[in-house]
Amino acid sequence: MKQVVTVRRRALAANDEQADVLRRRFDEAGTLVVNLISSPGSGKTTLLEETVRRLSGDFKLAVIEGDVATENDAGRLRALGVPAHQVLTGGACHLDARQVAGALEVASLLPADILFIENVGNLICPTTYDLGEDCKIVALSVAEGDDKPVKYPAIFARAEIAVITKSDLLPHVRFDLESVRRQVATLNPSGRFLVTSAATGEGIDAWCALLLGRLNAKRSGTSAAGS
Amino acid sequence: MHEMGVAIEIYRTCREAVRGHGPGRLERVRLAVGELSAVEPELIGFAWEAVTVDTPDEGCVLDVEWCPARQHCPACAAAKTRSEGSWLRLCPDCGAVLTVEGGDELDVLEVTFITDEEVPAGTHGQEGGQREMP
Repeated sequence: MKQVVTVRRRALAANDEQADVLRRRFDEAGTLVVNLISSPGSGKTTLLEETVRRLSGDFKLAVIEGDVATENDAGRLRALGVPAHQVLTGGACHLDARQVAGALEVASLLPADILFIENVGNLICPTTYDLGEDCKIVALSVAEGDDKPVKYPAIFARAEIAVITKSDLLPHVRFDLESVRRQVATLNPSGRFLVTSAATGEGIDAWCALLLGRLNAKRSGTSAAGS
Repeated sequence: MHEMGVAIEIYRTCREAVRGHGPGRLERVRLAVGELSAVEPELIGFAWEAVTVDTPDEGCVLDVEWCPARQHCPACAAAKTRSEGSWLRLCPDCGAVLTVEGGDELDVLEVTFITDEEVPAGTHGQEGGQREMP
């Protein structure tokens, strides 16, 4: 017997439902959750190290690291005294909401002011998966080339902040910063654009200020909404 | 290749949808894919084969309905033609921020399921809410 069943359900509904559960939990805890996305080697972990050095004295930070293999990144952040949990995806090119929920089960990460989720290095796949975050942030190093926003438009269109990293290398590479700024503005007119270097410290204070502004906005928004 | 992970989720969603319909196999799945969903129809087709192979649902057809995004300029009050797959959000004529509707679909629309049980002629149509075909 043949039956046609009408479904009309998001293909990623299971992930989205788990992400909603996480988002409620993060909202109740007053935790700003940042989903940090970039290609491998753009300096996500280094950016987090610099962030931790500046903010961990006054704010409680926590990190979930996503990688295909090794505990390296979580180890680097733990060395700075920050609770960090490494999720090993075993080949998968992104984190999903269940893995984030699993990390919260096994590691003491909350309560925290800011929880960073450093996604698997990839500009494509992580874009599709909601992790219950407040915002996606994309990092792009100047060594990767200045055509990346238009080549990987989905993440640049969805990221609240685009962080250019390794600006100290600008004299050594062909990278038209203004072109990249225009591409990002065209893809995401309301997005923020920041130029940083962990090596020289350029832009790191501004980056931290943006994060804290976002944290304050979330908390005042939460209290204003009365929930 | 994140289509693999997406295909696994689609498969779970389909199997969930036919739970309670008894043993059987999936024959056909209709999937809506938006052009801004970051899923490639051809790749999702390959991934679907890989996910369903060696299951009772091997050979199940995945029909992809491609859903373009529609964009509109609030300043020029005109719908702007868009180059395929374009994510640019500024009006090429006046520079205003375009509104974009649709294109982010990634939805399982419909599942065709063949149940193992043989239903005698004349007893079809017992299950409410579903169309049945012989």
